[in-house]
Amino acid sequence: MLSASVRRTGLLAPTVITLFVFMVLPMGLMAWMSFLEPGTYGGVQWGHYSAKSYIQFLYEWDLDDQLVLNTDYVGIFLRSFLLAGGATLATLLIGFPTALYIALKDEKARNRWILLISIPFWTNLLVRTFAWMLLLRNGGLAEQFLSSIGLVKEELNILYTPTAVAIGLVYSFLPFMILPIYTSLEKMDWKLVEAAFDLGANRWMAFRRVILPLAMPGIVAGCMLVLIPALGSYFIPELLGGGKSLMIGNLIQNQFGASRNWPFGAALSFALLTVVMVTMIAYNLRFKRAPGADK
Amino acid sequence: MQQRQVAIHIDQVSMCFGQGAEQVTALDSVSLDILENEFFTLLGPSGCGKTTLLRLIAGFEQPTSGHLQLYGQRLEGTLPFQRPINTVFQSYALFPHLTVAKNIAFGLEMQKKPQNEIDATVEEMLALVKLKGFANRRPHQLSGGQQQRVALARALANRPKVLLLDESLSALDLKLRKEMQVELKRLQRETGITFIFVTHDQEEALTMSDRIAVMSGGVVQQVGAPADIYDRPVNRFVADFIGETNFLNAVVVTDGFDLGKLGTLPYPVSKLGLGSKVTLALRPERLCFSEDGLPGVVENVVYMGTDTIYHISLQDQPGMHVRLQNDYGAQAAYQIGNSVKVGVLADSIRVLED
Ligand SMILES: Nc1ncnc2c1ncn2[C@@H]1O[C@H](COP(=O)(O)OP(=O)(O)OP(=O)(O)O)[C@@H](O)[C@H]1O
Ligand SMILES: [Mg+2]
Repeated sequence: MLSASVRRTGLLAPTVITLFVFMVLPMGLMAWMSFLEPGTYGGVQWGHYSAKSYIQFLYEWDLDDQLVLNTDYVGIFLRSFLLAGGATLATLLIGFPTALYIALKDEKARNRWILLISIPFWTNLLVRTFAWMLLLRNGGLAEQFLSSIGLVKEELNILYTPTAVAIGLVYSFLPFMILPIYTSLEKMDWKLVEAAFDLGANRWMAFRRVILPLAMPGIVAGCMLVLIPALGSYFIPELLGGGKSLMIGNLIQNQFGASRNWPFGAALSFALLTVVMVTMIAYNLRFKRAPGADK
Repeated sequence: MQQRQVAIHIDQVSMCFGQGAEQVTALDSVSLDILENEFFTLLGPSGCGKTTLLRLIAGFEQPTSGHLQLYGQRLEGTLPFQRPINTVFQSYALFPHLTVAKNIAFGLEMQKKPQNEIDATVEEMLALVKLKGFANRRPHQLSGGQQQRVALARALANRPKVLLLDESLSALDLKLRKEMQVELKRLQRETGITFIFVTHDQEEALTMSDRIAVMSGGVVQQVGAPADIYDRPVNRFVADFIGETNFLNAVVVTDGFDLGKLGTLPYPVSKLGLGSKVTLALRPERLCFSEDGLPGVVENVVYMGTDTIYHISLQDQPGMHVRLQNDYGAQAAYQIGNSVKVGVLADSIRVLED
């Protein structure tokens, strides 16, 4: 018979090892790397420490080696937030009514709808993004359709613009908004809506005062699931945005690739990580007293 | 009794769920008139359609056929939030994201009452259901009985014309339940609200109601004052469901009822068809032991505090219970195995022709 503490250590070991090998180790490596000097042909110069990568985010060195403000990178961050935030808002506006609609169906219809929504996952997102390129390009199906109903006169000129990136983001992340909202609506007790009606609430008030607050955990989870990966998305802006460094993901990729500045890439990753962490912490603080939670 | 207005008029209402072979008839041509400020109780076993009838009155369902009126106004097409009717739900249906006070205030806020009036009413309601000091708790922090009282307060806060209560005292302990019964009765008298109360507790129904409708299988079996229902049940179901009843199988003969081997029970049978089979319903507390009664053997003696119940086995007939009040300090008059004679007075016999 093993003692309790040995057993507990043994049971915890797989989790601890997994977390360490796949999370702490690579992250630590990246953190360390962000404080090293870049090597000339990529990689890093081990042992040469510097905070240059973090300074580089806001400043650049002019010809006299003076620091001057450089807002290019901040601009990319801002654009990323705008695109990811916009995509989150758009998926929310489309996703909530969809989830509500599905949740109000009977069980058979609900399962059918969920299946339909998960069908896109069966093919690779990369392939689906290429499909969007074909749809959105000049002379593509989108243009043909829009001109046939008279909305577009000449060329669509949408591919390789931020609009195309936004469309791609909304398309690929929509299921991640619908599913958590659906989950929170599906387990909701519809008797509560009846109770609201009974007490004199009309449809809008019942929605605002009962359905919306009860769906809030799902809405927040959906927003997180869309916002965070959208911020770090890489190949959607790469393909639909035309390879220009449109979003943070592309910028980071660039540093590890063509620019051969690994420490800067690592520093950018950490800047992004910080933002995401702050968002998560804010979320936890805000929803500590979520409905149904203890205390 | 003075002439009272009809608050809820239910006319030939039927309600079916599902289609084809799976169709369930929850209500079968129910007609009732519920009077203003009446304490009206729907009593019946589980699944007899009580909740369904309340849902039709509240407006959550539309009847398959028939119609309902509220003070003479037909209710078709009016939505639940347009009806001056509030419900205390069987499952409470409290809003989990709102505090007790906010739950109670919900209906008043929907009516856009001024804040100070809302606060005053919430206070009053909390005092009424004895939950002062619980105002800022959330429903999941309350016991079942406390939740039930919040549900009651929430429905009452709106001062509806009709209040529907779906087994609204079932989760309370006996003492609190008795208190709430008295409170509910007081409220009903003082507010003029019509109460439609659902229960399957017959004692609760008998003590609280002005009138009772006994339901079974979606059909109203009998409507009447508690004493009517108890003393003059119209059929075997009602006699069996309300209180305890002994049944004897009898055949009508010229001078009374033929009970087979037990002999003949004298009864003025003038209005009954000779030779017809009937069921006699006898309340245990209306029976006694006497010299010229029906012979039987004591099978069991159950001491109940105020009363003792004797289980008597009879030849040819189902067993009978006889309930006698205990005198102070008295011993049970008969022991198991004793031969006894059960005396039946003619005016305690209810004849059911089934
Ligand atoms: N939405 C529904 N769909 C199908 N059948 C239903 C539905 N609601 C109720 N029923 C059926 O109608 C009948 C009456 O149900 P109801 O809820 O009115 O019973 P009840 O008298 O309130 O019972 P209880 O005392 O257990 O609450 C039951 O047989 C039930 O199964
Ligand atoms: Mg019920």
